[in-house]
Amino acid sequence: MITPSIALEILVTVFALVVAPLAGGLLFGIDRKLTARLQNRIGPPIVQPFYDFIKLWNKDQIFANRSQLIYVYVHLGAAMASLVLLVWQQDMLVILFTLALGGISLVLGGFSVRSPYSQIGSQRELLQMLAYEPMLVLAAVGFYLVTGSFLVAAVFARGTPLLFELPVIALSFVLVLGIKLRKSPFDIAAAGHAHQELVRGLLTEYSGRYLALIEMAHWYELLLVLGIISLFWANPLVVGFGLSLLLYFLVILIDNAVARLTWTSMLKITWSWGAGLSVLNLAAIYVLSYLGWIGG
Amino acid sequence: MLMVDWFMATTILLPALAGFVLFFVGQPAIRRLTVLALSVILIIASLLVLQNGPFTYSPRPLAGVAWNQLLVAGDAVLVALFFYFGWRARSGLIVGLVALQAALVAYLEFALAGVAADNAPLFYVDHLSIVMALVIGIVGSAIAVYALHYMDHHEQHLRVEPSRQPKFFFSVLLFLGAMNGLVFANSLPWLFFFWEVTTLCSFLLIGHDGTEEAQRNALRALWMNLVGGVAFAAGMILLETTAHTLAVAEIAAERQAGGALLGLAFLVVAGCTKAAQLPFQSWLLGAMVAPTPVSALLHSSTMVKAGVYLIIRLAPGFEGTLLSPLVATAGAYTFVTAAALAVSQSNAKRVLAYSTISNLGLIIACAGLNSALAISAAVLLIVFHAVSKGLLFLGVGAIEQYIGSRDIEAMEGLLRRVPLLTAVTMIGILTMLLPPFGVLVAKWAALEAAARVPLAMLLLVAGSALTVVFWTKWMGRMMSAAPSSQRLHVESLSPLFSIPLVGLAALAILLTAALGWVMSGLIGPAVSDWYPTVGLASGDNGLVSSVGAFPVWALLTVLAVLVVVALVASPVREKSVRAVYACGENLAESGDTDFRSIGDGTQAMSLGSYYYVGVLGESKINRWANPIAIALLVSLMGVAIL
Repeated sequence: MITPSIALEILVTVFALVVAPLAGGLLFGIDRKLTARLQNRIGPPIVQPFYDFIKLWNKDQIFANRSQLIYVYVHLGAAMASLVLLVWQQDMLVILFTLALGGISLVLGGFSVRSPYSQIGSQRELLQMLAYEPMLVLAAVGFYLVTGSFLVAAVFARGTPLLFELPVIALSFVLVLGIKLRKSPFDIAAAGHAHQELVRGLLTEYSGRYLALIEMAHWYELLLVLGIISLFWANPLVVGFGLSLLLYFLVILIDNAVARLTWTSMLKITWSWGAGLSVLNLAAIYVLSYLGWIGG
Repeated sequence: MLMVDWFMATTILLPALAGFVLFFVGQPAIRRLTVLALSVILIIASLLVLQNGPFTYSPRPLAGVAWNQLLVAGDAVLVALFFYFGWRARSGLIVGLVALQAALVAYLEFALAGVAADNAPLFYVDHLSIVMALVIGIVGSAIAVYALHYMDHHEQHLRVEPSRQPKFFFSVLLFLGAMNGLVFANSLPWLFFFWEVTTLCSFLLIGHDGTEEAQRNALRALWMNLVGGVAFAAGMILLETTAHTLAVAEIAAERQAGGALLGLAFLVVAGCTKAAQLPFQSWLLGAMVAPTPVSALLHSSTMVKAGVYLIIRLAPGFEGTLLSPLVATAGAYTFVTAAALAVSQSNAKRVLAYSTISNLGLIIACAGLNSALAISAAVLLIVFHAVSKGLLFLGVGAIEQYIGSRDIEAMEGLLRRVPLLTAVTMIGILTMLLPPFGVLVAKWAALEAAARVPLAMLLLVAGSALTVVFWTKWMGRMMSAAPSSQRLHVESLSPLFSIPLVGLAALAILLTAALGWVMSGLIGPAVSDWYPTVGLASGDNGLVSSVGAFPVWALLTVLAVLVVVALVASPVREKSVRAVYACGENLAESGDTDFRSIGDGTQAMSLGSYYYVGVLGESKINRWANPIAIALLVSLMGVAIL
């Protein structure tokens, strides 16, 4: 029995699943154009990611073993599922766990081939997860402290933007985005471009259709993280989108301005400046709500 | 009433009795039959009590002798045994601890008459006890059955003659009986008696192989658990003198203060020793010298679970006091520190041991958070951790018998060598790590419960991130495989191996699929016995708390669909398989594990994992970790002053 509200929900879900990769691909195209202009190149057209996708899709399928392929589907599926959970305004922690499921799946894909490049890439990807996971979970805790719930729905139900109470946590998403997008200085597991000491890190042994699917998962993940950033200004959401795009372009600028770090520096920066300052932000909330100056 | 008599006799006395029979009757056929029959009986008994529901029970005097007098005799026997073991090993520490413990217990039993004066029922089987009985009955039995085959192989391998299996199975079965007694006991002195029996059994089992290392580690386990025993006895004396009761149900029923609260703090410390919390972790790490079924037993359904059970049991008694946040911090501290230590380990059993310590820390943290949601998380963890960790130890034990090593580095490409064992071990890890499986659901609930307790929350966040690293690294080694299009060749296992392994693997997944029932039928009642709400309820798509929701079934469905799609959509064709990129020509005749390198030389490809020993090694961490842990435990004692 399909009621109008369920029909609407299905419609929204399908819409999100279709629009997200298109928007994500376009954003990556803009990134390449912008980066090229910053480097005094003309750069590819902004729809280049879609051309790449189609070309990869039609290539011969070659791979090292079967299990390698299974992880690609779980990686993509988890990215899609976490986006759907966000659209359904579900529990923030569950969204993050689902995202982590996809991350772990990709790491296992890199490990599943007996290749030094992809395995070292996987090890580093794990360190990257270790770097950004705490910041994301702390953000979820921040949402909870302000709204009294872990549900995304509670963020929308609230009138004033979260940005006022959680400015530092919002800013920590520059680090999260940088790592998730494989941007300098955090492109240690697999760089977006083929200028990495590990060939293409954990993606080295993927090609053709499977590489295309991983690329698509990447588009979903970009939209997911941008979506979470938008929650810092959820009413009206359009301001939130603006905020997330602002951080996105900030990350592109940083990418072009700095060199790659080692994993130790990455962990130091993310745990001290990222997680550390987020904790101070949370501490301020604890104190303010203890004093009764803010609700929650 | 008769039924209850039989039930108690079946679950506590029958395993002990069967153990004594096996001690004297050495025939393998009789041993197998006895263990199999007892396993079936224990499983049925635990299911029957689930159906029957809670009850209280005091046994009638046995041939005119009151059971409390028998208890005094039992305690005396245990003291004599511990004293003998300490004296035999020339360990002044153990002898001293036994003497101290004996003095405290004697003071309680004779000077305070703490045992005889109580009119409360000796046994009180509530919903939490029933959950524990199911864990002990089902997981414990699976391990005992597995041990039948494992020990044959083990003794063959070590050329043990004559067989020491009678002694081994005596300890295992006695252990199961004592655990049942422990979780059913209402009277603290009785609980203490069973507590000490589990100490005895673990001592015997850890030292079973009789090597110098085994004996040394067994003695370490003994003295550390005797420290817990001393804390337990001191806690009982404090409770008897201030709260004037030693009935668990009465202590937990109201918020304690002053000396009684200090008594509870002592009991929490006792629980921490049994649960191998920092700084007592070394006894559990040393325990892995024992045959693997012993590790499985200690880590999943018995021993360490007794420690966390005691703390959860008493938690309502210190709810709302300062002891709560202190316990939460201590537990969360062990959670993160043990997870960090696990990252640096390449020995699979040590990784499992640190993971156990870490998860027990999380359970204790939940007990300290002490809300209905947190306690739900704690009990969920007990159940799901028992199944997955039991499975993992059995899997690693079987792998060790096949490949002759328990080193994670030696497990490279295990999927191609022993696919079935790899699959069940993978299921063990995945159900420990991934959403929407039970352990992660519990972790989710724990995080949501901790969000208002700043320090505990931070420790939980850091620990969760570290957990991902050590599990995934390990899985990566097992799944790493050279290019191939060959089908997997499934090894054949003895049914005594495959039934417990596949059974537990299936159980780990099915329990998640049935999470709604697990929550409403098992765990909810165990929580709502003691707290105003259940904390977690089953909703339309999964579990719902007051501050969040976990759509378990939606995610489980997505995961299942993805795996099916992946299997259907990725056909293996010979011509699609290529060698890996090696920065040089691949040499096909070597199976593509060699490649041509500088100066046309042949280079073998060899891969290994990272362990970050320089940052997270035991010597680096233990230096500061143990002193902090001691300070945290001492801080628990501060509750009496404030």
